[in-house]
This record gives sequence, structure tokens and C-alpha cells, in this order.
Amino acid sequence: MSLENGKISSFQLSVLIIGFIFGASVIIAPGQGAGHDAWMAIALGLTEGLLIAWIFTALARHFKGKTLVEINSLVYGKILGNFISVLFIWYLFHLGALVLNNYSRFLELELYPATPKTLTLILIMLVCASSVRRGIEVLARCSLILVTLTILMAIFDTLLVVPHMDLHNLLPILDIPIGKLLWTSHATAIFPFGDAVAFLMVLAFVNKPEKGRSAVFKGVLIAGLVLIGVAVRNAAVLGQMNPIYTYPTYITAQVIDVGDVLTRVEVLVAINLITMGFFKISVAYYGAVLGLAQVFNLRSYRPIILPIGILMVILALTNVSNTAEMFDFANNGYPIYTIPFQIAIPLITLLVAKLRKLPQIGGEQA
Amino acid sequence: MKGKQGFVLILLIIIPVFISGCWDSIELNKLSIISGLGWDVDADTGQVTLTFQSIIPSETKGAAGSSGDGGQKRGNPLHTIQLDSSTGSSAYDALNRYSQHSSRRTFYQHTQLYILGRSAAEQGIYPFLDSIARNPINRPNVLMVVSEKKARDILSIQDGMESIQAMGMAAEIKLSAEYSQYPVVTYLEFAQRLLSETTAPLAPMVGIIEQAGPEGDSVKKTRINGTAVFKGDKMIGQLNEDESRGLLWAINKIKKGFLVIPGANLEIVTAKSKIIPELQDEKIKITIAIDEESNLLEYDGHREISSDLLQDLEKGQAREIERQVMAAVEKSQALNADVFGFGDTVHRKYKKEWPVLKARWEDIYPYIEVVVKVKTHVNEIGEINKALMRD
Repeated sequence: MSLENGKISSFQLSVLIIGFIFGASVIIAPGQGAGHDAWMAIALGLTEGLLIAWIFTALARHFKGKTLVEINSLVYGKILGNFISVLFIWYLFHLGALVLNNYSRFLELELYPATPKTLTLILIMLVCASSVRRGIEVLARCSLILVTLTILMAIFDTLLVVPHMDLHNLLPILDIPIGKLLWTSHATAIFPFGDAVAFLMVLAFVNKPEKGRSAVFKGVLIAGLVLIGVAVRNAAVLGQMNPIYTYPTYITAQVIDVGDVLTRVEVLVAINLITMGFFKISVAYYGAVLGLAQVFNLRSYRPIILPIGILMVILALTNVSNTAEMFDFANNGYPIYTIPFQIAIPLITLLVAKLRKLPQIGGEQA
Repeated sequence: MKGKQGFVLILLIIIPVFISGCWDSIELNKLSIISGLGWDVDADTGQVTLTFQSIIPSETKGAAGSSGDGGQKRGNPLHTIQLDSSTGSSAYDALNRYSQHSSRRTFYQHTQLYILGRSAAEQGIYPFLDSIARNPINRPNVLMVVSEKKARDILSIQDGMESIQAMGMAAEIKLSAEYSQYPVVTYLEFAQRLLSETTAPLAPMVGIIEQAGPEGDSVKKTRINGTAVFKGDKMIGQLNEDESRGLLWAINKIKKGFLVIPGANLEIVTAKSKIIPELQDEKIKITIAIDEESNLLEYDGHREISSDLLQDLEKGQAREIERQVMAAVEKSQALNADVFGFGDTVHRKYKKEWPVLKARWEDIYPYIEVVVKVKTHVNEIGEINKALMRD
């Protein structure tokens, strides 16, 4: 009996990936370390991100209809396989907690200064828990509506801010040392593009597995192009102030002023953030819960949804003590910390599987 | 199943009570809405004085709505607004002291204007800029002005048609962009210039003039009358009317406005400019190319309006524009403050040479050769095409 009976189409998968990638990148502007060359860092990062996507989709294609946990136990055997799976589940769990944490910090600073973080976190967590409970199908259907709305709002924001743009702010191109550019682009490859590796827990449920890879590529590419557009817009509007602000996208929306009437629309950006963060948290949450249920051979993953959610909230509340630390980790620690999960685990598993000539014909029962 | 539905229903009723987000809401009549914020620093003691001009919402409504008692309230200029200041060792110290004796909570989201006292500006406004940007309740597009004297003096003057002085002045500054005389500077623009490696931040200056009032008394009014030039966060000088106009020509900020040349007045229709840097053997040459079109508003001579005459007028305009730009260039070189952003244009074009140039920019800037190239065109001559009076 399968833990998840839902099926999603490849188009839904693309849209869900777009939502997932937008997730926290609406708050932490990717490539900010590269100043006005952020768009270039994102473009380079997108290339590397597609490479990461190529690796993990290759693994998913090799084992059609299997999640990473099932693949691991096939490839490495029960004990080692489960150990690696638990490592990966930790990554998903931690990812969810990090996004929750970004989320609550942003909301506390900009929108709800008096509301305790715990409350916002619990509310978000409850929504995510409910969507995880209903399975991947529901999440994918939500994404169709919400991602479309978000992209429309991003376009709307951009159009309104055109009078405040100065494209000279993007010159000179390549103004930072090449080493720093490469590091920043690697950081953008890992976050937000590489995080899509979480979809190793979801790709198994695509109704046409052979279309999975192109769907992932489409999603990553579209999200990347939108992020490049956003980076260009932010740099053109904020100029030298772009790297200074903690949440440049939000400030850019604050600049909007059409005839003293259409102003103060930055809350739209906050809405985007809340809806897209929902996808990122939900997918990571879903992966962690489903993976854990598979590791322990549970008959249903539902009983562990709430416990995992509570732990996630606790981790989100305690893992970083302030925003400076959050950014320090996002810019300096995260790009290295995630390499084992995003690149090493899928790549090594794929190589071992090829060496062991897995899956054998008729190995479906294994 | 029935029981479960009932449970969900109860939850749906209870949850909104707790999470609807209004548990710490503050009603309008408990707020003191700040419309303008003044920042003064005592030159001797370094004490910071914040001046708050707050709006009393109920009073504004009365003044605008019913004409009956509205007129009466107009008589007392400081009725719809309240002016208060407090002094402390830093911005937040002063704010703290203010909040302690205020009966209402201060609300900054609708601040229109930051007014910096001149002596504060000369001592450096970095603490002010930081405290503004760091606090999320402040918005990036609030206007900045430097007051000729103390910020408090400006905020206490009732001028113009608005009952809220700071809002009136903000509207005045925004409208003045149409006449392209002095720069309009928001907090964001100021900070962008501050962060640039060489460009000098700017802000318009506001002074106080005295005019004869309706009853023979003298009335104080505020006037924008110059451009404050900063170096880093310290004000080092100011540009006068001509120099400010010249600056705007060069940085492509002229929208509309009037141009007065000997014998004729013209209205600027469009204007575009470009700063083109050139680097030859370590020497920087800047070309400012200005392209202007105008309509004839007034011609004081008696010549036939012919294309000859228009060409003369075009030449006259070009001379006038060049004079204004050169005045600004000379002043800025004398102050050694790169108000035009020449450094940034050089940086954009000569990326490799820039690190060397940047280090010596202080020594380079005063001796940069600036060439102004003006192309002008007169579009329309108005409804008459001959002189009204013959020689």
C-alpha cells in the first residue's frame, strides 16, 4: 500500500516548483552580495541550479515512481539506506524550519511588530500541516492559482515602479571581483534553485514520470527568469541602497507612488511572500513527513504531521538568534552545508545504482 | 460525524476572535500623526532636538468640511497641527522624552518631510539617516530639506493654503519639480548619493522670508531658496538659484519651467542631458550634452518673428543654459563636491582605471575640464507672429 495515492501532472509540478523557488527568495533577495550585478549572479546560479536539477532528475528517472527513501533502501540496503534517508529528511526538516524562521522574522519586523513570533509560526504551520495532510495533489492544485497571482502581482509591482527606475544603476557590468561573483552565484544556485532537490520526495507522484525532468527544468527556468527580472528591478530602483536593505523587494514596493493615490502597496509583496513561503514550507514539510513514514514503514504518514510540525516550529524559534545570524548563515554557511544533500546524495546514489546495475528488470517488488 | 462538524463550527467562531489581528489596535483619536519631523543639533553641546509637527485629525476635518467654524479655525494657524519638540543626547533619547509627556502615541507612517537644521546638517546627519533607515516604520520616499536656520522655525510657520504646514511644504516641493528650479530629494535618493563613492548628496534649502501681510503686519513665509551640498553626511555649502538650475540641467532633472534670456522669455517643453566622460592620458574631460526644446512666451523686441530671430533666440538660450551649468560646475569644483555624479559616470565607462582614479578623486575633481554642448530649438511662437509695436 502506498502512503500517497495522489498523482500530479507535469504542468502542476512545474508550477509547484516555481512557487517553491519563490518561497523564501521573496524575502532574502538572492544574489544580494553581488550588488548591482545580482542579476548576473542569479543567471550563473540558475545554470548551476539546472545542473543540480539535472542530477536529481536523473536519479528520479532511473527509479521511476520511487521517492528518495525507497531509492536509498534499494541502493544501499536497509540500514545504510535508511541512515542516508534520515540525513536527507533532516535536511528537509531543517529547510522547513529555516524558511519558517525567515518568514516570522520578516513578519515581525515589517508587519506585525507586536505579535509574538510563536503565534505567527504556529498559524503558518497549521496551514501547512493541513495541506500536507491532504496530500501532494491538493498542494499542486493550490499552486496553480496562487503562483499565477504572485507572478501577476510581481509584474504589476514592476510596471508601477518603472518611473523610479534608473538603468544606469546596473552599470558598470561585472563590477565585483570574479571570486565574489562566483561565490554569490554558487550561493544562489544552492538557495533558491538547489533546494528544489526536495522534490525527490515528490517526483514519484508525477503521472507521466518521463516528463518529470522537463517539468522541473521548466519550473526552475521560469522562476529563475522572474528572479532575474526582480533583481534588475530592485537594483534599478534602489541603486546603491539595494545591498543595504535587508528586504529590498519590500522597499522597492514602498517606493511605488502613482499620483499620491496608488501608494503603500508593499503589503502586496508581503502577501506574495506569505503564499509562496507556504509552498516552500509545505513541500519540505511534506517530504520530511512522508520520508519519515517510509523509513519507519508506517501505514499512514498522517499521525506524525503535527509532531513534526511542532518540532519544526521549535527549531525555527531557536536555531538562529537574530537576523544578522540568519543572513550570515544564508550567505556563508548554507552554500557549503547543503552540498552533501543537494549534490552528493543524489549523485553518489545515482553512481552506486549504475554500478550495481539497479533497478533490475522486475525489481519493482523490492 | 455530527459532533465533529459542531467542533469545527465552534473553532471557526472562536479562532477569529483571537487571531483577527486587532488585539493591539490603536484608534485614530489615540494617535499623534507626525506630518513633519525636524532635526536640530546644538553646535556646542551636541544635544539633539527633535521637532514633531503632529496632525490633530478631528480639527483638520472641521477646517475642511464645514465652512462655519472652519473659517474661525483658520484664524488660529496652529490649531490643526501641534508643534512640539524635545531634546536629548540622541534621536531616540529625544524621542523617548517626547513620548513620555505625549498624551498620544506617535505615528510616523504618514511623515511627509524631514527637515534638517542647518547647523545639524553641517555637523553631520549620519545618526539621523541611520535611525531613519533602520526603523521599518519609515518610508524611503519621504522628502528631505535643509532649513536655513533651525528646523523648528520652519515647522512653526503657517504658509500657503494648507492647514498642515509640513504637508503644504511637501506639496510645494513636489509641485516645484514642474518648474525645475531646485532638486526634489527623497530620503532614498539622498542615501543613494551618500553611498556612492564620489557623488555628493543634495537637498533643497528652505528659508524664511517676511512679507507684508493683509493687515499691514508682516507675515513670515517659507521659500525654497537654494540647494544644500553635502560631502559625506556633512553639509559643506550651497548652490544659489542659477547654480541649482545649472545642476538640474546637467543631471537631466529639468522637466518644465521658464527660461529668461535678455529680451525674451521661454517655456521649456522638453530637455534631455547626458554626461559623457572621456579619459585621455590620465586626464578626465567631461562633456555635458544638453538637448532642449522650448516655446516662446514673451518677446520684448520689435523684430519680425522670422527664422532668423528664432535662431538668435536659440543661441541666446544656449548661452544662458551654458552659463548656468558652468556656474554650477565652478561652484561645485570650488567646494570640491561632485554634485553631478561625474565620478559615477567615469566609473561606469572606465571600470579598470576607476580604482586608481577613485583614490585621487579629491585631487582630480576641482581640475576636471568640463565642456557644455547645448542644442536648443524653439517650437512654437504663440498666437501672434509680428511685433505689437513697430520701431
